[in-house]
Amino acid sequence: MTHNAAAIRTIDLLGVFWRSFFIQASWSYDRLQSLGFAFALIPILRRLYPDREMFTRRLAAHMEYFNTQPYLASFILGAAARAEEDRATCRHDAADVEELKKTLMAPLGALGDSFFWGSLKPFAASAAVAVLLAGAWWAPLLFLVLYNIVHVGLRLSLVFIGYKTEGDVVALMSRHNFTRLARRYKVLSLAMIGCIAGTLSAWGTEFRIPVSVSPPLLAAAGLAFTLGMIALLRLGASPVKIMIGLAAACLLLALGGFA
Amino acid sequence: MTLFDTHMIMQVLFAALIGGIIGLDRTALGQFMISQPVVAGPLTGWLLGDVTAGLVIGGTLELIWVLDMPIGTFVPADATVAAVAATAIAALGSTTPGQLPVIGFCLLLTVAMVPVTMFADHLMRQRNAQIPELALSPSGGPTESSVTVWHLAGLIAFFLKAFLLCLALIPAGLLLVSGFLALPDAVHRAMSLFVTFLPLLGVASVARKLSIYTLDRTLLIGFLIGAVSVQMFHVPELAAIMLAAGGGWMGMRVHDA
Repeated sequence: MTHNAAAIRTIDLLGVFWRSFFIQASWSYDRLQSLGFAFALIPILRRLYPDREMFTRRLAAHMEYFNTQPYLASFILGAAARAEEDRATCRHDAADVEELKKTLMAPLGALGDSFFWGSLKPFAASAAVAVLLAGAWWAPLLFLVLYNIVHVGLRLSLVFIGYKTEGDVVALMSRHNFTRLARRYKVLSLAMIGCIAGTLSAWGTEFRIPVSVSPPLLAAAGLAFTLGMIALLRLGASPVKIMIGLAAACLLLALGGFA
Repeated sequence: MTLFDTHMIMQVLFAALIGGIIGLDRTALGQFMISQPVVAGPLTGWLLGDVTAGLVIGGTLELIWVLDMPIGTFVPADATVAAVAATAIAALGSTTPGQLPVIGFCLLLTVAMVPVTMFADHLMRQRNAQIPELALSPSGGPTESSVTVWHLAGLIAFFLKAFLLCLALIPAGLLLVSGFLALPDAVHRAMSLFVTFLPLLGVASVARKLSIYTLDRTLLIGFLIGAVSVQMFHVPELAAIMLAAGGGWMGMRVHDA
């Protein structure tokens, strides 16, 4: 063990942050993100273990099974960097990095999936599609900005929070209340997609329904149609099956002279 | 003029290249969400000279697939390849840019693309299982260079998956579009009508996943704010969206207080 190993510098953690964008480059069913985790931690291991044999041993240790939400992996990477530093400098001889990773990956995976995939992404998508239906060409840019301000900002800060708190999830949650944030994003998403249905008569020309009825009636019909679709989806119909059904219905309407 | 002349072959190759590069963002590289249909569609459309097709296809597919989540080992339908391929087919197969019936037909084609993309994803991720073994150098342990090289080699697999899928799906779609264009006008009108209904299916799809209620209160508040502000007060739609978001926010704060 290298008792005089140098401490981790900010530049090393920034290296981990940069490499975290590649964490899923070799994603597979068997090892999931294991190789990606080892790859992301290389700047830290290189710094802490100048001894080649020790470096190889620690790199191999990080190639064990690992899987979590790819963005929140940054927090675990920071925590693992700190644990490796403790181990290398003998601050904490028993620092069990593997156990730390195993403890953190499942709860952070569930938290990240719910927050990023289940609330932030629908929020950015709802805002972008609402703007797109209003005829704004910059809707894709809005999506990227809304999503990545949170995504990249969190990814960067999580490496440092993980390092400073030694992987303390309670400290993470006190700084970022993901559950409350997720709920807020979901409420905003629901309000905006409701608005999409309500502004049906003002949609861009490509999406305008070719019938001459009054706007209030059209909005009411749109709402009834949407609620009917929600009910169908709740009954287990898949969007793919509904799309096929809709195409068939549109064909019948067109052949009947209603479109 | 034959359907696949040299110019068209080059365009298809270019579109497949776009698909391959954008497809990297889906899982393997960054996940900045450039691969989301609402971005991938317009970007592909812009590069191929038909932004309208990209905006319509991307916006529509976005809401329908946004909550199909990659949780654990579950690999959802590849909405990226679907958006890029559908946009490319619409852009290259239409006689004029923004041809709504062709766009509608291409959106319908994405239904057939879903199982193909899922199968390809599954196959590639199974193959990737060999990579960690390869990263162990001949001496038995991993080295910095072996881990780096083999890990980043995974990017090639992800690129090739999306590239080859687009290379197969786009020409097949173009053949189908050329057949579609020869169909009677009623079929074209049906596809134009199909496009107008899909955003509402997207709204339903998102609402279904975000709320346990069919008659969700926030959804209805958003609907009322949108409908009243646009129809009674002639508020611009963008302002109505802001009002609806504000209304939802206020409702939440009142509920929490």
